[in-house]
Amino acid sequence: MRITCPYCGARNLEEFTYRGDATVKRPESIEETARDAWIDYVYLRDNPAGLHKELWHHSAGCHAWLQVTRDTTTHEIVDVERVAKER
Amino acid sequence: MSKLKSMSALESVAVPGRHGKSDGPAGVTLQERADLGLATLEVRKGQAAALDAAVQAAYGVALPNGPVSAVGKGVRFVGVGPGQWFAVSETHANEALANDLATKLEGLASVADHSSGRAVVRVEGPSVRDVLAKGLAIDLDPGVFGDGAAAVTNISHMGVLVWRDGEAFDLAVFRSVAGSFYGWLEEAAAAYGLDVVTTS
Ligand SMILES: [Zn+2]
Repeated sequence: MRITCPYCGARNLEEFTYRGDATVKRPESIEETARDAWIDYVYLRDNPAGLHKELWHHSAGCHAWLQVTRDTTTHEIVDVERVAKER
Repeated sequence: MSKLKSMSALESVAVPGRHGKSDGPAGVTLQERADLGLATLEVRKGQAAALDAAVQAAYGVALPNGPVSAVGKGVRFVGVGPGQWFAVSETHANEALANDLATKLEGLASVADHSSGRAVVRVEGPSVRDVLAKGLAIDLDPGVFGDGAAAVTNISHMGVLVWRDGEAFDLAVFRSVAGSFYGWLEEAAAAYGLDVVTTS
């Protein structure tokens, strides 16, 4: 599998580290009432068949965090963008 | 306290002379670029335009916006990531480069000295691309990786920064893996003949 980094170009999987689902959002509240939201955030993941957004770190390249849109049924990567919008 | 003795990363590791195939011209020539000034710079938040202008004024070159290098007055700036560059200099040797950058770009970029943290070798010769291809999973064809092109990647599973200078390739590896890296290179080049040239 190869990922086309917006900065570096197409590179092999060995250069990247997988972080996980890019769609989960950290709950705003740290109160007990947000318990279910925290369980969902920390432990529960969807397992979609089809397009999925995931975070990858270009750890052996430019060190940018990337949001990769991948089809879980074909492994086709349809989009890669940097998470940080500007420096 | 006595001052630590400065020594090159490949001293007594890369033995000068011919290695591997001994007949005919060497396929690859290797030369250590010791005593270079090496430093990283990273733009401070919101200072991209000001940094560009300051580099232009101080070194007479525009910072590259991608994985390529730009050569200014005494310093080569290599793009290593968004808002990040690796600076290389022969004229500002060792930590003098980081000092010079930190002074001229104060408040605009964070500068760190890497002079004693990396080993830099220059490899060239008719078989250089064949040898590098054994450990480097990027396309080195001049049509893709031309003069000045750069890449942060792995070479034989070791982190490397590579840039092209004319027909030669410069490779910067962390000093702690310099021995392993040289061992791999000598092995990879043996079939073509490797000539290690002394610089000092
Ligand atoms: Zn990258």
